[in-house]
Amino acid sequence: MKTLSRVENIMFKALTSRFRSLGNQRGQSLSVPVFDGALKPNDVLEEAEVLVEKEGLEDLAVDCDGRIFAACGSEVFEVSMTGDLSLIIRLEKSITALCVLPGRRLVVGLGDRVVIAPGSTEEVVLTDAKGKAFTAITALSSCPDGILLICDASDKHSYPDWAWDLMSKNHEGRLLQYDTRSHEINVLAPGLAYAFGALQHSDNSILVSESWDHQVSRVGDRGKTQGVIEHLSGYPCRLSNAADGGFWLSVFATRTQLIEFVLQEDDYRREMMQTIDPKHWVSPAFSSGRDYLEPLQGGAVKTMGILKPWAPPRSYGLVIRYNANMIAQYAFHSRVGGCHHGISATAEIGDTLFVLSKGAGRILKLSSHSGEAN
Amino acid sequence: MKISKSLVKLRYRYWPDHIFGELLQKQWMETAVPMVVLLFTIVFFSLQIDNFISVSNLSDNFRQASELGFVVLGMSLVLIVGGIDLSVASMFAICNLVVLYCMHVLQLHVGVAILLTLLCGATLGAVNGILIGYLRMRAFLTTMVTLIIFKALHDLLNFKIAVPISSQFPDSAAWNFFGYGSFLSIPSAVWVFGIVAIASHIFLTRLRAGWHVMAVGGNRRSAYNTGLPVNRIVALSYVACGVFTAIAAMFYAARLSSPGADTGKGLEITVLTAAILGGIRLGGGKGSVMKAVLGTLIILLITNGLLRMATPAGSARIILAVILLLAATLEIRWFKNRHKAVEELYVSPTYLDMPALSAEATGLGSVFALNDRLEHSEMIGLGDIESPEDVVLDRNDHLYCGNRHGEIVRFLAPDYKEHEVYARIGGQPLGMTFDAGQNLFVCVGGMGLYRVTPDRKVELITDETNRSYLSIIDDSRLRLADDLDILPDGRILFSEATVRYEMHEWQTDSLEGRGNGRIILFDPKTKKTTTVLRDLTFPNGVVLASDNESILFAESWKCSVKRYWFDGPNKGTVEMVLENLPGYPDNINKASDGNYWLALMGMRSPAFDLAMRKPGFRRRMSKQLPGDEWLAPNINTGCIVKFNESGEILEVLWDHEGINHPMITSMREHKGYLYIGGIFNNRIGRLKLEGADENFISSGKYHV
Repeated sequence: MKTLSRVENIMFKALTSRFRSLGNQRGQSLSVPVFDGALKPNDVLEEAEVLVEKEGLEDLAVDCDGRIFAACGSEVFEVSMTGDLSLIIRLEKSITALCVLPGRRLVVGLGDRVVIAPGSTEEVVLTDAKGKAFTAITALSSCPDGILLICDASDKHSYPDWAWDLMSKNHEGRLLQYDTRSHEINVLAPGLAYAFGALQHSDNSILVSESWDHQVSRVGDRGKTQGVIEHLSGYPCRLSNAADGGFWLSVFATRTQLIEFVLQEDDYRREMMQTIDPKHWVSPAFSSGRDYLEPLQGGAVKTMGILKPWAPPRSYGLVIRYNANMIAQYAFHSRVGGCHHGISATAEIGDTLFVLSKGAGRILKLSSHSGEAN
Repeated sequence: MKISKSLVKLRYRYWPDHIFGELLQKQWMETAVPMVVLLFTIVFFSLQIDNFISVSNLSDNFRQASELGFVVLGMSLVLIVGGIDLSVASMFAICNLVVLYCMHVLQLHVGVAILLTLLCGATLGAVNGILIGYLRMRAFLTTMVTLIIFKALHDLLNFKIAVPISSQFPDSAAWNFFGYGSFLSIPSAVWVFGIVAIASHIFLTRLRAGWHVMAVGGNRRSAYNTGLPVNRIVALSYVACGVFTAIAAMFYAARLSSPGADTGKGLEITVLTAAILGGIRLGGGKGSVMKAVLGTLIILLITNGLLRMATPAGSARIILAVILLLAATLEIRWFKNRHKAVEELYVSPTYLDMPALSAEATGLGSVFALNDRLEHSEMIGLGDIESPEDVVLDRNDHLYCGNRHGEIVRFLAPDYKEHEVYARIGGQPLGMTFDAGQNLFVCVGGMGLYRVTPDRKVELITDETNRSYLSIIDDSRLRLADDLDILPDGRILFSEATVRYEMHEWQTDSLEGRGNGRIILFDPKTKKTTTVLRDLTFPNGVVLASDNESILFAESWKCSVKRYWFDGPNKGTVEMVLENLPGYPDNINKASDGNYWLALMGMRSPAFDLAMRKPGFRRRMSKQLPGDEWLAPNINTGCIVKFNESGEILEVLWDHEGINHPMITSMREHKGYLYIGGIFNNRIGRLKLEGADENFISSGKYHV
């Protein structure tokens, strides 16, 4: 159903654009949803306490005892409440996803493979499913009953090349399910627009982030998905459980009209991909502002010594709190001109929320109720 | 790939995209639409009817056109003031009777008859004028009522005098000439109409009274507030309409000598159609004689053509009515959307092929290797000054800069803690320099070249240059003079960044990437201003070179610095000094060691360079995205370069994250220090230069 409607959509767009190109193009102005209501901007993330600062931080995981683990480069650390790191294991490759199964069994994604209980005698290595090798393991999530959710975001571009996947409009991400007891692996949903985060919701349905479609979808029968949180103003990634049956959604970057425009401009995009280093593309980013070869948008010009917080963002920090009914409650921001950008993971323990800013290479600690006053 | 690329290049090189927007912006473009309709009508009927464009047909057509034209002129005047006159047909009929009565029955002299008829027309118009102008009645209702009353009056008169008129004939050669004569084979009526039309054109466009008429139509309240006698102007326009109608009636009477009961029937519809087809606005304030003439010709050709094609009278009327409807719709659409069309078409990016960024620009080991020398500059006026585009120091070490409030601010030596407003200019001061007499010469955005004398008097030096013949927009005014230097003989060379945009639209100019700028010479002896170099891409940073025969200047969007000889054996030649810079050059000033300081206002980014090779991409971007979302040059970086005349880069100073000095637009060396300004900044930087000449002063060498 979904693919059909997508095909229809594409055909309709092609048809209308044919007519539009005859006349003026004023009617086609591009827009992205604004931060409104529960998403009203604040500086909570920017002002949050910095617990850990380390280059290469990637993912967070919590075990059933409330211990926090962080993946950083090719290492897994346990993070104490005071920010001390103790090394758990060092692997041969960069870790791209992390989670803990019941019984304190670590699971790590290493780009093209998933390793369960690495280094132990029970080590299991998964490299493919249904005849298709893994390419970009971006997120892992542990469910009750020994089920492990695996996000393989793309079939062409490895995790560091995520911008390629966005700019080539790839829609070949998969959500997989691995049963740790029967060792059976299943494809829950194929054809996802970058699967970058999954979670079993409190109503037992399974949610998956589709970054390039700016939505979180619910996985239904026979691989069908249905958007439940749609038209996000950013690119959603990993999800984590919250206290009352709700969840935290990390948004690693926000959309801009310029990026939406470049996604329409096939000729420009093709040449950009062929000739320019991805870190200087017109594309979202985990962090920005340190390299003068990055593109700049007119509104982001520093004026009178200030970069305006409402300038078009290249990178942004955003975490959104949803309740059990999937309604946004509040959000934490680090706005343009700040540095806690590129939020890629969250973990809630009691009243404390731990937020991993990949852009800044920091783990932040804040009260999970900081936004309720808003 | 290669071929298509060079095709794109050729297309943008030779196809003048920018002129369409410029054309559409012109006032006279409004007349272009009826002109096209007229040509279309002529072509259509010439294809349908043999001999449509023959001398006899044209001559007859023009005679009728002139008669109709007078009424249309009158109606146009009334429409321009914001009214409408439906009673023209009845007035026309009455005047027809009056002139016939004078000539046929009373056998008066032609001159007397004409005077009496004009008086009659004026009186009838005055009735409308007094009712609408002074008693403030609605034009539409009033003239509809007078239409009925005048018509009834005409019927009464006609009943009494039609027979005497028909039974007698005047014996006046002048009267016959009036009706049938021609001079140089052009009908008499056309001659008179031509003269009256030209006079009306001059009246409306060149005379104070005509401007008053336009003003009242444009905005009645504003006209009243500025003290115009609105009532009188409105009333007089109706009187004029009556007079014009009377003239038309006289030519009609002389030609046909017919006191018919149906005279002038339906004339008001024809006349209104003509006026609106010509592009005269129903709402008032817009219209011209040319439009009235064009509208008249279109209507006449159509009615005549339909007649010749033997269309039944009824359907001919229907066709006219449909045309009126279409014209009215088109008129509304056009007026509502013209500025949008201008917006759409005006920005016209061109192909700008920047060579790939050199490895040097990004390499760590090169002269461009990052350092933090600018991040630790001393701050002057932090928070007290906004937009110091250029900074200059006088002999006594006082520091001068402009701000965005349109003032020149002076920071007092030696510690620059105190400041005062040195002079109020009114526009953003850009490039500045002193002459030997301590006169401060300053380029002011949107205003031109100014001088502030030592006793703080602000004087205009020049704000216009010679207009180029082929330019569609008026390029005689200075829109964005931005930097200058004084030559040894006292002449001043200054740059104008763009002729197509205002100062605050500089970003749009960067998106366009066309050579919109120029270098201009002012000669104080002759007081003449002349353009010496054209088609430069955002020229900037004029500085006198060491040979005293040439200047260096920057072309910002082309990332190059060039040298232009204004004197000597190489006079007139331009030579490249620095090309393919990693950033966008702005002001250039002398360094104490004989080299030059160059401000890079921002750095090139590969994504923007690629966009410069995709004009279509940029055009669509400018239409679909708001300005704040456009891709822009990366100007959040601060960089100053020292170079020499042979094009070597000697030293680079960075604030690459733009902490203190994003977008450096100028710097000036003075007695061992470098002073740094930026148009988007709220501070001036001061940096100690090791080993620099402690007595060096960069400006104030020559007398103007």
